[in-house]
Amino acid sequence: MSLLHATWLPAIRTPTSSGRPALLIWADAWRVATPAGPGATPAIHPFTLNPEDLRAWLSEKNLLPNGIIDATACLTLPSRSVKCKSKAKHSVEKSTESGKSRSNWTGLPLQAGEPIPKHCEWWPWQVQGLAVEPSAATAWLSNLPLSGSHPDLGDELRWWSHLQRWALSLVTRERWLPQVELSKGEGYPHRARWVPLLNREDDRRRLEELAAQLPLVATCALPWREPTGKRSNRTTRLRPEAMQAANPVASCRPRSGRLRVANLLEDLVDAQLRQGFEPNTQALDPLLAAWQEALGSETGILTLSDEEAERLATASNHWKEGVTGNVAAARACLELFTPPENEDLWTLRFALQAEADPTLKVPAATAWATGSQILQLGEVQVEHPGEVLLEGLGRALTVFEPIARGLDSPTPKSMQLTPAEAFVLVRTAANQLRDVGVGVALPPSLSGGLASRLGLSIKAELSATSRGFTLGESLDWNWELMIGGVTLTLRELEQLAGKRSPLVHHKGVWIELRPNDLKNAERFCNANPNISLDDALRLTATEGDTLMKLPVHRLEAGPRLQSVLEQYHQQKAPDPLPAPEGFIGQLRPYQERGLGWLAFLNRFDQGACLADDMGLGKTIQLLAFLQHLKIEQELKRPVLLIAPTSVLTNWKREALSFTPELNVYEHYGPKRPSSSTSLKQAIQSMDLILTSYGLMQRDSEILKTIDWQGVVIDEAQAIKNPNAKQSQATRDIAKESKGNRFRIALTGTPVENRVSELWALMDFLNPRVLGEEDFFRQRYRLPIERYGDMASLKDLKARVSPFILRRLKTDKAIISDLPEKVELSEWVGLSKEQQSLYRKTVEDTLDAIARSPRGQRHGKVLGLLTRLKQICNHPALALKESDVEKEFVNRSAKLQRLEEILEEVIEAGDRALLFTQFAEWGHLLQSYLQQKWGFEVPFLHGSTTKRDRQAMVDRFQEDPRGPQIFLLSLKAGGVGLNLTRASHVFHIDRWWNPAVENQATDRAYRIGQSKRVMVHKFITSGSVEEKIDQMIREKSRLAEDIIGSGEEWLGNMGVSELRELVALEDN
Amino acid sequence: MTSPPINNPGITTALSEDGLGQQPWWVEQWMELINSYRFKKRLARAWTYAREGNVTSIRFEGRRVHARVQGTGEDPYKVKLWLDVLSDEDWSYVLEALTQKARWSAQLLAGIMPADIERAFAASGRRLFPFKLQEVRSECSCPDKANPCKHISAIYFLMGDRFSEDPFVLFQLRGRTRAKLLLDLAEQRRAVLANLANAAKVDENHDEFSSSAINNEITTQPHPAVVDPSLWWKYEGNLNADLVVITPTMDGETGIRSAGDLPLAEEPKFPEARQKFLSHLHEQGQVLAQQAMLQAMSTGE
Repeated sequence: MSLLHATWLPAIRTPTSSGRPALLIWADAWRVATPAGPGATPAIHPFTLNPEDLRAWLSEKNLLPNGIIDATACLTLPSRSVKCKSKAKHSVEKSTESGKSRSNWTGLPLQAGEPIPKHCEWWPWQVQGLAVEPSAATAWLSNLPLSGSHPDLGDELRWWSHLQRWALSLVTRERWLPQVELSKGEGYPHRARWVPLLNREDDRRRLEELAAQLPLVATCALPWREPTGKRSNRTTRLRPEAMQAANPVASCRPRSGRLRVANLLEDLVDAQLRQGFEPNTQALDPLLAAWQEALGSETGILTLSDEEAERLATASNHWKEGVTGNVAAARACLELFTPPENEDLWTLRFALQAEADPTLKVPAATAWATGSQILQLGEVQVEHPGEVLLEGLGRALTVFEPIARGLDSPTPKSMQLTPAEAFVLVRTAANQLRDVGVGVALPPSLSGGLASRLGLSIKAELSATSRGFTLGESLDWNWELMIGGVTLTLRELEQLAGKRSPLVHHKGVWIELRPNDLKNAERFCNANPNISLDDALRLTATEGDTLMKLPVHRLEAGPRLQSVLEQYHQQKAPDPLPAPEGFIGQLRPYQERGLGWLAFLNRFDQGACLADDMGLGKTIQLLAFLQHLKIEQELKRPVLLIAPTSVLTNWKREALSFTPELNVYEHYGPKRPSSSTSLKQAIQSMDLILTSYGLMQRDSEILKTIDWQGVVIDEAQAIKNPNAKQSQATRDIAKESKGNRFRIALTGTPVENRVSELWALMDFLNPRVLGEEDFFRQRYRLPIERYGDMASLKDLKARVSPFILRRLKTDKAIISDLPEKVELSEWVGLSKEQQSLYRKTVEDTLDAIARSPRGQRHGKVLGLLTRLKQICNHPALALKESDVEKEFVNRSAKLQRLEEILEEVIEAGDRALLFTQFAEWGHLLQSYLQQKWGFEVPFLHGSTTKRDRQAMVDRFQEDPRGPQIFLLSLKAGGVGLNLTRASHVFHIDRWWNPAVENQATDRAYRIGQSKRVMVHKFITSGSVEEKIDQMIREKSRLAEDIIGSGEEWLGNMGVSELRELVALEDN
Repeated sequence: MTSPPINNPGITTALSEDGLGQQPWWVEQWMELINSYRFKKRLARAWTYAREGNVTSIRFEGRRVHARVQGTGEDPYKVKLWLDVLSDEDWSYVLEALTQKARWSAQLLAGIMPADIERAFAASGRRLFPFKLQEVRSECSCPDKANPCKHISAIYFLMGDRFSEDPFVLFQLRGRTRAKLLLDLAEQRRAVLANLANAAKVDENHDEFSSSAINNEITTQPHPAVVDPSLWWKYEGNLNADLVVITPTMDGETGIRSAGDLPLAEEPKFPEARQKFLSHLHEQGQVLAQQAMLQAMSTGE
């Protein structure tokens, strides 16, 4: 798969261009490449798409910008050293004979996401791409997604889209000034430029943020000079020396990003304004007219004499100087300190503060003492610190005049302020100072943050009789007013307010009282409200929540309440609950915690979503939970479990083996009860009723009449679309209730990250948490999905996280609980077509075998078994069809389930190996999967050539965006290959011998590998596959020893034995 | 430029009356200087000259002002103006005085001409601003024997405004460019500090000066991307909360408003040009802001 990148090409002058910058977009894709090294000019990047392919790919993806030309640039990229094979090396030497080869280095450029080798080198590479002219670039960047990762877009494109959004914000806020940029030298024009003003605190912070996170690929380019010259209308190649001079093997050094990012931003803002600006030169003198014309022209070229341009440049620069200075690593900072006990005067200290990290400060004395040297501020280096400090103080003077008094000495370090001046500083000047680019540090109690506001300090505990299971219950509590970290009584507040001084001293702390403080406090005291457990949960969920308009600064929970809060907010792992009596098997430690968590939320009557990674045993945890209820005598009414048809079999099997005491009933098939009465009858004394989403919707009228104790939905993503009938019916059935009805959702997808799907899920679990759908869309979905609004996302997560438990198999705590190989049996059924085909095949063939002479029987038996296994895979395989038609997936239950699991694998970004023993099935599956997902699925089988084999394996192992699914035939792919990037192995059909399967599994699993490998074995229940599985389980040692690796022994079975083996059992 | 000085001897600026009082102090001071001139009639004619756009160019070149004035002749007359340059010794006094107050350096670095700058020059017994018009030396290529002739006087009128474009040309005329002056100031400050530091050695505070934060040479720390090349492509940042919803300024504090009037000398023939220029920028700025806001809103649609 190709990945798109973007790099800024700084302005250069070429015969065709007047020297405007451009956005170079280019794409790379993994392929087998010969290592190369620079010759006279940088080597050609071996992985880039050529411009035609790039154009085609971009227009296919709807990403093709306007205003593009083919372009080449030299990009400095981290590279992996690779020795050239002798033949290739020879050709490199040959080609560089004409120019002087400077180095014998050969290698390959690294690609995004590729594992980083131990030793990296940096080399320039010639990259072909498309140059987007600046105004088209701004439009194109504005349409890129602002959040999330996109399979076709490099991460750095998101950085670009954020930078462009900042440019739009600056233009919207009109934070810009026109300037004149003087010619850089002979032959370069003078230009009119729009420049952004970055004096304000938030813009400065943003510059630091974007600079600190700058992906260097965005600024690693040198323009490539056209290697052709024109001579008498004939295009000729430049002589090698000229080429070398034009495109030297030069690298861009990685440097601090602040200035670069400021320049990029300037280019974007300039392009943005230039394209829309309409000059109006009426009544302007020639100087201003020329300037305005140039501000609206595409190239910005100023048609003025040097002298006039210089005058305009000086004046415009002086104009801008009044607002902002140069971008520097540090700024002046004023630190305010409260007066000592019994004194009046406040101290203001001068300091120097790093832009990148405002906590890094040194006192002015250090800046003065540094002189012309470089000041080290943490990791930040500040040149001319004294001048930086002075310039800032000069700006500070323009908004906070009292400072002048402090600057009467040559190297001032601090000064004193009167209380009135200090108040002005706290109240208004601090913000103005920050806006002119001067840092201000106020005492914490006055910093204007939440803590400096009048609020509450609360102590609360569950009431003595309460067990903490009812959300509405009142708590025992008391409260105090609190401001600036100290508490005070209403009386004290009245006294302080009576002083009529805005800054007051209380309990050793200076605080600022605001006009409404007293009123709000009085109102609260008069109301003297109750708080409930619900309130406590809310107040501890997000910072800065308020109670009757007063922020809660502190909530001290008593030990019993604390324990409830911690569990609720998942601040500590849930208390584990051991496997209940009657549960056959063992729970891993994390599963015991999961069980404890389900039980905890159940006590609160809160819905729970168990979203553990695939393979961690959600089914087991739910069965254990039901068994727990049963043992505790709390399971009094039936529980409805809704799941996709494809996993119903699996549920039944697992329930049978882990919780045989649970009475399970399947509401499925044509013979299912069709009336409320017959259903009630049928499920009498049943504990767990299984049904599919489809039938739940069809039979919802009947199902509604049952008084369910709980509703469980498996593969909960099935209800993600809130308006779909299936989703509505599911949510309805969860709500209808006489008694309490617990709601549990199971899913393997990262549900909390899929904002659009959260609403329906939460509406199922706990309807009030996210409110109505319209509200949810406006408040959360749009801001988060469109703009990646983190504040909204954080708030949303705080709201839903108590109800979602998700553990990943990569979590440290989980890994230690898991064996290196986790074997999962995937039980599946048969479609109608499969069933009838299976039955018919068995009937027809068994008779034939019984009648055939002994010598032929062996072959016929094997033939039958093979055919049955094929039917279990897909009827099309048994019927030797070669096309994948529309109904393909619906004809095989196994394929449906496989597809569902693969979807999760793909979503998680994992890689999977799929083994089958049938090459024809591999081909069918390959074309089906490729059609389904639109990406390439390689298939390695017996007739794959050795070269292709190696290419497939290399690509799977090395390409950072390589195929996620790799199909292999068991025989061709089972041995000798190293495919350790896979974390899932699927055995689509069973081989009689576990050793062969294990060998194949070991392609992915290697001793010492830190990740866990999930091995999925598909078993068609009731079929020959299940028998084989049983056999392998029961006599697995025997099988290994006696059977060897072949299927030969099967041929020697007697007919009755055989009949038992192949007969399709109804279940 | 509304009326000649003869009818309105109190005129202090070449700007319209709206601009009165908003003029930087040095422009006012310059106009006072001109108004002190005795030959009001000649001044009135020079005023007309200036107003009608006869001055075709004014250039600050090194320590001199070169100008061209279209007179009655075919070719414009060449006018030169200059001030007495301060000697190096004088400058050393000025620099020493300037370093005594951090505020002076601070303002100069921030691009502000300190209102009390003459106090620093007084240390050398010299001035930055000429005290009398006679101190402004001049030459004109016109046949008129009188100095200042009307061509020179016309330049006088326009000079004040030109100082606003870059107040630091005053230093230039006195022999130091702004860059050189700031450099000299920095050096002077270091000298003062060295003295202080010597004194501090016996002082209790000397620890403060030997801070370990000071570096004698640039320590070359490798860029983080050199240590971790995956940073070449990595970006994990989220959109800043302030950029989620993009709205125009609430306080009306646009760049143009913060920057104030464009410090460009008015072209007498186009008396409203600067105002027009700014108001057009302002109007267009609003239109462009609207467009950008809509563009930002449609992202992701």
